[in-house]
Amino acid sequence: MAVTERRRKRPARRQPKLPANVAQGIAAATCSLLGSAAAAPVLAQEPPSWKLDTALLYYGEADARVQDLSLNVLARRLYTDDRTLSLGLVVDALTGASPTGAIPQDEVQTFTRPSGEAVYSVAPGELPLDDTFRDTRYAITASWEQPLGRLYTGSAGISFSTEYDYTHAGADFHLSRDFNKRNTTLSVGAALARDELDPVGGAPLPFAPMTDLGDLSSRGSGSESKDVIDLLLGVTQVINENFVVQVNYSLSDSSGYLNDPYKILSVVDPVSGAGTPRAPAAGAEGPLHEYRFESRPDTRTKHSLFAQGKYYLDGRVLDVSWRYMTDDWGIDSQTVDTRLLWPVGERSSLEPHVRFYTQTEADFYRASLVAGEPLPAFASADYRLGDFDAITAGVRYSRRLDSGNELALRLEYYRQDGDVPPEQLIGNQTSEALYPGLDAVIFEVSYAFGF
Amino acid sequence: MPGRGALSLVRREGCWLGEFTAMASPCQVLSKADRAAARRQLEAAAAEAWRIEAKFSRYRDGNVVARINAADGGPVAVDDETAGLLDFAAELYRLSGGRFDITSGVLREVWTFDGSDRLPAPSDVRRVLTRVGWNKVRWERPLLTLAPGMQIDLGGIGKEYAVDRAAALAAAISQAPCLVNFGGDLAAVGEIAEHAPWRVGIEALDAAGEACRRIDLARGGLATSGDSRRFLLKNGIRYGHVLDPRTGWPVTGAPRSVTVAADTCSEAGMLATFALLMGGDAEIFLSRQSVRYWALR
Repeated sequence: MAVTERRRKRPARRQPKLPANVAQGIAAATCSLLGSAAAAPVLAQEPPSWKLDTALLYYGEADARVQDLSLNVLARRLYTDDRTLSLGLVVDALTGASPTGAIPQDEVQTFTRPSGEAVYSVAPGELPLDDTFRDTRYAITASWEQPLGRLYTGSAGISFSTEYDYTHAGADFHLSRDFNKRNTTLSVGAALARDELDPVGGAPLPFAPMTDLGDLSSRGSGSESKDVIDLLLGVTQVINENFVVQVNYSLSDSSGYLNDPYKILSVVDPVSGAGTPRAPAAGAEGPLHEYRFESRPDTRTKHSLFAQGKYYLDGRVLDVSWRYMTDDWGIDSQTVDTRLLWPVGERSSLEPHVRFYTQTEADFYRASLVAGEPLPAFASADYRLGDFDAITAGVRYSRRLDSGNELALRLEYYRQDGDVPPEQLIGNQTSEALYPGLDAVIFEVSYAFGF
Repeated sequence: MPGRGALSLVRREGCWLGEFTAMASPCQVLSKADRAAARRQLEAAAAEAWRIEAKFSRYRDGNVVARINAADGGPVAVDDETAGLLDFAAELYRLSGGRFDITSGVLREVWTFDGSDRLPAPSDVRRVLTRVGWNKVRWERPLLTLAPGMQIDLGGIGKEYAVDRAAALAAAISQAPCLVNFGGDLAAVGEIAEHAPWRVGIEALDAAGEACRRIDLARGGLATSGDSRRFLLKNGIRYGHVLDPRTGWPVTGAPRSVTVAADTCSEAGMLATFALLMGGDAEIFLSRQSVRYWALR
């Protein structure tokens, strides 16, 4: 039989017959050859294939407004040849209260909760806040990046998030190409998203009045949705060995239901500026003043220009960026963000950070609606659509541990101050009362490690 | 790749990248020193590589190896550096049980690894083998006497030796982290950049230039042996280019590439070479040496 014959012919497997520790012998021989004292021991290892960035972030607004505890995990699997899989998870636990858009009054105000199943009252002179703002949001992302040929890099990603009344699903694509000995990189990107809103008690109809408990006549039926398309065009240029600049233009187009279903406007007296009294139906509980739900356009187009310079010097990095945004809602905003990474000793660094933000109000921003006047096409008293300035200032401290992992702490303070345009103030209304400032602290602990 | 004698120095990803060609390989000196020091490191490394190549290459006329190989049975007195390399070779011969032998180069008279199926006749191999064997050599420092027809080839040692020498010169110029890379054999010296190690790629077997595995090297040597592009193929059997000087035939079952990390590049290179010479037992051998290695089959 051929098979057994072949087996018989196969030579017996030789065991290696070498001195017990060849490596030691080679080391000694090398030492005599190179004439040096024993070299320091080699430090070589395969880099970790997974890198995890984890962070626990607390964002807290003063005066019992929004509090957010956020857990962020970004896991990256690094393959050779620069292919990367990224998986992200964010869990946000939101509590606290958010301004409804209604203005403070000299009288007690009563509101029907968004659910339509309860009422709550706000003391005279107090800014009306909706304290039912309590939610847990889960967001996941996944993306893949890889070189495409020698000069191109492509990436594709998907995102999904869900919370009590809101779901988001999106996809994004990026392509970049290096030019000019890799000193210039051009990138294009596109992102598509579809968000579904299913507000408690149904999405309110635009300008529908706030009704009594149990009366859902102001609510539309079913859920609402919006679609967002983002396009990005960018160029990164290495100016010299220490200086890199980046300029991006992006276009964002939203369409669909763009209202905040929980935001309302007070309907006020044209002379005094006080709320218009209203009587709930007999035997019913309900608002004691008139309010209407907001109404925003159903499209929004934003153009953004972003410029960033990073300057590297002896391990320090100065990062300055400027963003200009303008949209067809009439909001123009500018952001200047500056951070300086400053190494302290061998393993630590401090990074002070200052950010200035300013925006003009939307064309349809109104502190209140006037009783008896015809309704405008659109109106919102959402403070985020108003005229305001904000500053963020803080510092990040990071330290590399013996294990090579990085622990970082970040503490920041945020302050926002807004104004209601003087021509919108009626009677006794004051800008200070209608647009109160916002103070918040941000504290983050982050830990980065690999395995 | 710069031409012979040419040096290039450019800024690349936070360090200075110096390049030149020596020993038929692209050579690099990566340095985190300032530009002037990086330039001096590059010049010193290139000068040393070219000096070692000129002195020990068997392809050059008039050098010490040429004199030894042309001695036709006569003794040749060698300088200290050559003697050091011969002592090293003698020790490697002993440590490898005769598998590593600087006299095995003459087997190339009958073996040409050009991807064809042209195996030499066993009788031709036996004929050449009579001129192979360090045990037939008389080495009494500083006198080396080869039997007539025998030759030595320091190519199996020279590149790693050059890397370690160049790295030592670079370290004497600046304490900043510096990586010397001569055709894939490397040494990292200078301050330990533990958290910003040199990222080294090991080439994939079938795609030249593409890294299939990454190694972070902060300090020490890293060397790779094996060449998947040099082989003979007959009747479905692959004959790799690593010859066993004891038989005159290719070692069988060796990994196609072995990378070893050790305190110096020379140590790493010799361990990688030994592993290939162990054929199918390469990984067993390496794991017994308690060294970090990466074998590709």
